[in-house]
Amino acid sequence: MTAVRCVDLCKTYRQGDQDIKALDHLSIEVEEGGFVCLSSPSGGGKTTLLNAIGGLDKPDSGEVYIAGERIDNLSKGDLAELRLHRIGFVFQAFNLIPVLSARENVEFVMQVQGVPAAERRGKSLEILEEVGLQGLEDRLPSEMSGGQQQRVAVARAIVSNPALVLADEPTANLDSKTADELIDLFKHLNEHHGTTFIIATHDQRVMAYAKRLVRMLDGRIVEQIDQNAA
Amino acid sequence: MMNTLRILVMLAWRNLWRNHRRTLIMLGAVVVGVWAMIFMTALTMGMVNDMIEDSISVLPGHVQVHNPDYLDDPNIANLLPKPDKEIETIFAPAGFLAWATRIKVPAVLSSERESRGVTLLGIDPQREEAMSFVDYSAVDGRFLDGPDDDGLVIGRKLARTLETELGKRVVLMTQDPDNDIADRGFRVVGLFSADVEAYEEQYVFAGKGTVQELLGVGDRVTSIVVLGDDYRNVEPVYEKVQALVDDGVAVTRWTELDTYLGTMLRVMDGFVLVWVIVIFLALSFGLVNTLVMAVFERVREIGLMLALGMKPSSILGQIVIESMMLLVIGLAIGNLLAWATIKPLEGGIYISVVAEGMAMMGAASVLYPQLRPEDVILANAVVLILGFFASLSPAWRASRFQPIEAITKVN
Amino acid sequence: MNLVLRLAWRNLWRQPRRTWLTAGAMVFSNVLLVFMISLQFGMYRLMIDNSLQAFTGHMQVQARGYIDDKKMRQTVPDIVALANELRAELNSDAVAARATAFALASSEDRSYGIAVFGVETQFEPRVSNIPGLVSEGRYLESNDAAEIVIGAVLARNLKVGIGDELTLLGSGRDGSFAAVVADVVGIFDSGVAELDRTIAEMPLGLFQDVFYMRETGHQVVVNAPRLGQVAELKQRVAALLPEDEDLVVQDWDALLPGLKQAIQADISSAVFMYAVLVILVAFSVLNTQLMSVLERTHEFGIVLALGLKPGRLGRLVMLETALMGLIGLFLGALIGGAVTAWLGVHGFTMPGMDEMGAKFNLPSRLHPDVTIASLLSGPLVVFLFSLLASVYPALRLRRLQPVEAMRSA
Repeated sequence: MTAVRCVDLCKTYRQGDQDIKALDHLSIEVEEGGFVCLSSPSGGGKTTLLNAIGGLDKPDSGEVYIAGERIDNLSKGDLAELRLHRIGFVFQAFNLIPVLSARENVEFVMQVQGVPAAERRGKSLEILEEVGLQGLEDRLPSEMSGGQQQRVAVARAIVSNPALVLADEPTANLDSKTADELIDLFKHLNEHHGTTFIIATHDQRVMAYAKRLVRMLDGRIVEQIDQNAA
Repeated sequence: MMNTLRILVMLAWRNLWRNHRRTLIMLGAVVVGVWAMIFMTALTMGMVNDMIEDSISVLPGHVQVHNPDYLDDPNIANLLPKPDKEIETIFAPAGFLAWATRIKVPAVLSSERESRGVTLLGIDPQREEAMSFVDYSAVDGRFLDGPDDDGLVIGRKLARTLETELGKRVVLMTQDPDNDIADRGFRVVGLFSADVEAYEEQYVFAGKGTVQELLGVGDRVTSIVVLGDDYRNVEPVYEKVQALVDDGVAVTRWTELDTYLGTMLRVMDGFVLVWVIVIFLALSFGLVNTLVMAVFERVREIGLMLALGMKPSSILGQIVIESMMLLVIGLAIGNLLAWATIKPLEGGIYISVVAEGMAMMGAASVLYPQLRPEDVILANAVVLILGFFASLSPAWRASRFQPIEAITKVN
Repeated sequence: MNLVLRLAWRNLWRQPRRTWLTAGAMVFSNVLLVFMISLQFGMYRLMIDNSLQAFTGHMQVQARGYIDDKKMRQTVPDIVALANELRAELNSDAVAARATAFALASSEDRSYGIAVFGVETQFEPRVSNIPGLVSEGRYLESNDAAEIVIGAVLARNLKVGIGDELTLLGSGRDGSFAAVVADVVGIFDSGVAELDRTIAEMPLGLFQDVFYMRETGHQVVVNAPRLGQVAELKQRVAALLPEDEDLVVQDWDALLPGLKQAIQADISSAVFMYAVLVILVAFSVLNTQLMSVLERTHEFGIVLALGLKPGRLGRLVMLETALMGLIGLFLGALIGGAVTAWLGVHGFTMPGMDEMGAKFNLPSRLHPDVTIASLLSGPLVVFLFSLLASVYPALRLRRLQPVEAMRSA
């Protein structure tokens, strides 16, 4: 079963007095349990594709299916529901709510979903341990390093067992050691939980780890490489 | 649902204290505003209350009964049809808070040196105690013993004006029902004080029986005066009295007899509301500003929350809750401060400097602030309700953010 | 200087909504202040004018001590002669002599105690409104005819009309019995219950005969052309008084202490309200400017590192406040002035003003007058306090360290 299927997506932005084709008749399929890297030079469209898949942005034309269900024509409210229950996000920066502790950030989505307190707590502590942050549950984002913050973001993204995790340049602000640790984490989760990962990046190390590498340019896919993770 | 609410409350509370300087300043403004609302209201209401109570006890009580002609022509010829004893049997069992019959006529009081026009009140002293403006504890000499006491009690100011004193003789002249002059010598047995000095000059008290004899009216009286619980709500008393009397008499509420005070009560109530709203409006600029600034600073994390699947209505709720929390704290402190500043002053604020001005308005020169629950509730309600609406605009705008725009926004 | 000004101005508009909201608070307060102050000034002046012109006059020459005791025997000797002299020296007709006593007035059906005034028939209309408010019959004409003019409420109470007779009984100056019968020739309706119910006027000559006054009286009323000239006129009159008699000039302040005090009491409560408004605006400004300063810490750090002195930064903040304050001042004064002026033309009324007006001698429709003072006094105070509020944020800047500042986001 395909986790994600996009058919003939088009999206154009206006910047200043120029039209920029962010997505140009783009189609792609990602199977369940896949680990896909989208790479392109800046402005190549990978963020736009990610946003379209995640229901954050509507394409001008084309269709997007998540687990066989069409999502590009859903209402804003339904899209929010989708994001809440089925998709996990890791952004490049500003992933965390500043006034909430690490644990509270992780619990945030579950709380909005309505998960009872005891269950939330158990799950969040478990997942924080899994990402290697035990002992730091009560720290505020301002009291953590960049790498630690990203880990909390990842923890939050997967704690409610989403089918799909979308990450946009997750290693961009990290030093190499921390970046490696983060990628290892992704891989671990992909292998042990079967979570589908789609990562937009132009970090070489990340690209090296991907099962499939998709190169984009000016809104189109120019190359897809199947590679086995190292 | 509860979970979401709980997290909204938690977020709202923590966000409130994120920029504690700003929150504290805004809080300070709210406290000052709320304090001012309540304090000013208490002062105003206290003044109005005193004025009205003083005046009511003298003039109209809450409800009065007269001969219909007496109202235009307060002359002894216009007596109530039923004799006093009969009125007693009708009114006594009705269970009013206080009531009394009186003879009230204009008269002239002369001492050796001077004369003055006064209003003579022939009363039943035991009854009047519950009703009158006289400060019975501060009477020089004595007050009247009973309705047949033949002494006269006058105000201190009047005694000074007439150059007379306790124990001296004065002559009271008034008109009898045949339009002849009826006069009689009285001994001044008591001097009374009143909050409003004008009352000391205007009113003199004599026993009802003595006055009835002086005027030759037998057992008749001019007025029945009835007091209820609440001068703001005299309808129950009015209806009760109406039921007790025949058609041939006029029953009037105090608001009809003294339109100035009646109006003033309404005007002051309105004034208080306007004052409260004005203060709130002045505060609202700051409140909205604070919220707008807070939302602006948090654009990215609002975008994040929306991206993660939080509903826009929750974003709106968060901001509104934050605003309401601020207001509730401000109200709590403001109310407390107001209570703390008013309580010690309840013994009376002396404003003798403007004593005569107050007298001109009919008020005493001691101001007793009055903290009424209705007024406090009003101030709090206005702040909460209007505050809610004021916070809707910035909250609404926040909830309309588009996630990706918000997240990628650079300051 | 120009550069700093431009910079300050542009800084204000970096956050237009914030600036407008803060200025909005100022404008709101200013509009209220302009309106209320204009209304008050106008109302007080009207109250005073009306009260004084009704009967009291701007000042009165009396025997020393009369104002407190009001005794029949505290007289002004040769009162008509004195009045004539004052009229000549001051070149004014607004001078009138009076004498007064308490008396019992009896008609055929009723009797009431009243205050009788003996007046100079030709000159009384120049110091009091009453002669002009005669609604039935006519005012007094001769100086000694047995005529009397009474108030409308008194007429009703006594059940008399034009042509009826009134008997007056009282005591003369020496304590002896005084009595007279006079014809009611006029009834006046001033609208002031006090006056309409208790005052009766008769010719001074008649009064002096009936009450054994000889040539004396009790008051010489003197009116100035305008309220503002009362103080000066009082000096002149005092100088003209004969030195061997114990006479004083009392101005309206002493004659009607209640009036001035009622006004003062009203002013104090008003000032309290204004103060609260001003303080709330100041809070708003404090908050805004503080935030604005804190936001720019990084940028200020750079500027300081480049060599600008902290003092100048502080002045920049105050300049920004001043500019914003000027917006609030101009707009507030403009809108406030326009609204008030419009109400000044069309009149302004509130429920309840009829009755309150009657008590204080005011019409039931007020026309607030915008003067320079009423237009600017409120807004200027708001402006000042706004500047004051920005002192704290400005001072914080002086302690700013460049490197530390640049580190903050």
